[in-house]
Amino acid sequence: MVRPAGSGRADGAGTKQGGGGGPATRTASRGARAERLAPYVLVAPAVLILVTLRLWPLVLGVNYSFTGDGADNGTPVGLGNYLELAGDPLFRTALRNVGLLVLLLPVAVAIPGLLATFIYLRVPGHRVYRGVYFFPAVLSPVIVGAIVNLMLGFDGPVNAALGTVGVGPVDWLGDPGIAMFTVTGVHVWATFGMALVVFLAGFSTLDASLLDAARVDGASLGQVVRHVIIPGLTRTIQFVFVTTLIGMLTSMFGLLFVMTSGGPEGSTYLPEYYIWHQQGQLNRPALASAASTVLFVVMLVVGLAQITLLRRAGRQD
Amino acid sequence: MQQRVLWSAVMVAALVLAGCGSAARPASPSGGPQQEQRKLVVWDWKSGEAATATYVEKVKADFAGRHPGVTVEFVAQPFDQYYTLLGTAAQSRKGPDVMLFNGGGQIRDRVDSLLPLEQHVAQDRSRLAGWDAFTKDGKIYAAPVTLQGHPIYYNKTLYEKAGLDPANPPRTWDEFVRACSAVKKATGAACLALGNKEGFGIQFFMSGLGSGILTPQEYDDWIAGKRDWSSPHVRRIFELWKEAGDKGLNSDGANSTAMFTDVFRVFESGKAAHIIGLMSDVGHWKDFGEFLPPDKLGVMRAPVVTGGATPSLPYDGGIGYAVARWTKDPELAADLVHSLTSADALAAFSSAAGAISSDTTIDVSRAGPAVAAIVPEIRTGRPALHVALSAKTLDLMGRLSQQLLSGSATVDKAVEQLAAADRAG
Repeated sequence: MVRPAGSGRADGAGTKQGGGGGPATRTASRGARAERLAPYVLVAPAVLILVTLRLWPLVLGVNYSFTGDGADNGTPVGLGNYLELAGDPLFRTALRNVGLLVLLLPVAVAIPGLLATFIYLRVPGHRVYRGVYFFPAVLSPVIVGAIVNLMLGFDGPVNAALGTVGVGPVDWLGDPGIAMFTVTGVHVWATFGMALVVFLAGFSTLDASLLDAARVDGASLGQVVRHVIIPGLTRTIQFVFVTTLIGMLTSMFGLLFVMTSGGPEGSTYLPEYYIWHQQGQLNRPALASAASTVLFVVMLVVGLAQITLLRRAGRQD
Repeated sequence: MQQRVLWSAVMVAALVLAGCGSAARPASPSGGPQQEQRKLVVWDWKSGEAATATYVEKVKADFAGRHPGVTVEFVAQPFDQYYTLLGTAAQSRKGPDVMLFNGGGQIRDRVDSLLPLEQHVAQDRSRLAGWDAFTKDGKIYAAPVTLQGHPIYYNKTLYEKAGLDPANPPRTWDEFVRACSAVKKATGAACLALGNKEGFGIQFFMSGLGSGILTPQEYDDWIAGKRDWSSPHVRRIFELWKEAGDKGLNSDGANSTAMFTDVFRVFESGKAAHIIGLMSDVGHWKDFGEFLPPDKLGVMRAPVVTGGATPSLPYDGGIGYAVARWTKDPELAADLVHSLTSADALAAFSSAAGAISSDTTIDVSRAGPAVAAIVPEIRTGRPALHVALSAKTLDLMGRLSQQLLSGSATVDKAVEQLAAADRAG
């Protein structure tokens, strides 16, 4: 990763020296060597930190994932852990839930986008909304989870309110078909404030005269959004997509832990929670390493796909 | 590009073939030069609470009497993260000298990093109860502090309102169901307060009612590891669980109500007549006493479901202190365990923290009628059924029990999967 850039520049310097020819003094050659080594020395701290704190543990983790647990501690088991993961319905649910999150992503981006649009278009009371919408973003997931747990309990206030309008109680966190949507919904509610701020920043770069022109031409609100705002905000929307997905895949542990503990029936497991559960609760560090490796590969694929998409979109601009 | 693919393939192949190292540090024999130790570190999740202050004081005093000059430091860890932290400490082989453990699977899964204590605790063997929960393959790894069990508590006020005799609780399952419908009719309260959000409800249910379902022989076999999952009585436990859900005996929303600690509030507030609770720590006589006056809290034996079953109190060692394999002076650490379980200290612990102590010689006459009903049962009590199962089987049982309640799994399927998990260990 470092080699091509560094060596390329050093080679370039070398040829220039050689091309100069003539009385190549000792100081010049020493200078050339220093120049050749300088890039390596300069990147060394960064590379060392990356290698010792990131790559080496990663390699160790991958290595551990091919060893056994408990009595088999330290003995190679080949792909045993991965086969066990593939056969574990719990892990499959966790991966399926990752897929569900990716599918729900457009909704999670559309909500702050729409609300930011309304604020930008100065709906009555937009100043109040701007503050209110951002407020949940400053709460920790644990606090949000605890509050929502109380609200959504089977005999909690939400079900009581639903009862007064004649809708039967919903087991928000106890029904395996609903619980994952509940947790995701709460996560979106708790975090969309950040995306909203990013959208508002994007709006500030939007050319107001375009909006005025559209209005003068008699464009409806829908048409303004579709033909002026969305094209003007492509970059911002892409950025929000990427950050929201990362947020969903990496920071829902706290909410899951407090709200469902992976339940009911294991329906709200995410890979992260699965890894923690195997390592901390069931004492299976090697299996947890295997699950971490799978999660790493998933994140790698998702990340690369996003980079590709962004590049392609960037080229169109 | 091709080269990159090739390299990755080679890398993966190498790692698969190698598979060397180990995820958990392999155990190595302890020993080496013994240095004089001036300080012992104890890890637990209790000493931070105000209720254990006297206990900690008495332990320190007792230990200082025999080893002046050695300081004892209690480090209270958050319980949520306790075993994760302990796992990390065990991997680095640095950490506490003495540590608190839950009995059963939590300690048995981790005996690799613990010192066998038989020789050190010989003097306490007959005084304390609950050793089995800290024993693996005939070796004792910790000394019990409390006993944990699952008595069935009932609300005498609700019984009175329903016209039932609170001094004479139901003895058979049919009587139990009849009493429940009487309570429901008179007060609207549910029969059983059930919290199964974490999947713990089934564990309490299995152990609380198990002695009324399995025959004494089956019960002993189960504890001894000879579990016959094809027995109709074992099956009956899960049928009864499903039946209780289907017939509406449980409190509402069992799958989304947390055992710790929402469901205890359901019982305390009189929304359910019975609860299979605990004896120590939380969810017990002292805890409930906050809202229910002591004389309105009853304790009953498991109702008899199958003829020939003899109900008994299911209990095990609750929490106990173990000694780390890496401690520098095992003698000294083991002696601290002795202080941690001295009669004086345990008496302080049980009265202040609300626990049934492992030392059954302690006077409990002032702790109220519920405790007075529990303690005599300890002599005839037997280990709880769920404690004999591995952590993995319990985890699976929790999920299956939620499926049984929601109707997405059948009893046959659940028992079959559990049998397979139990056989796999």
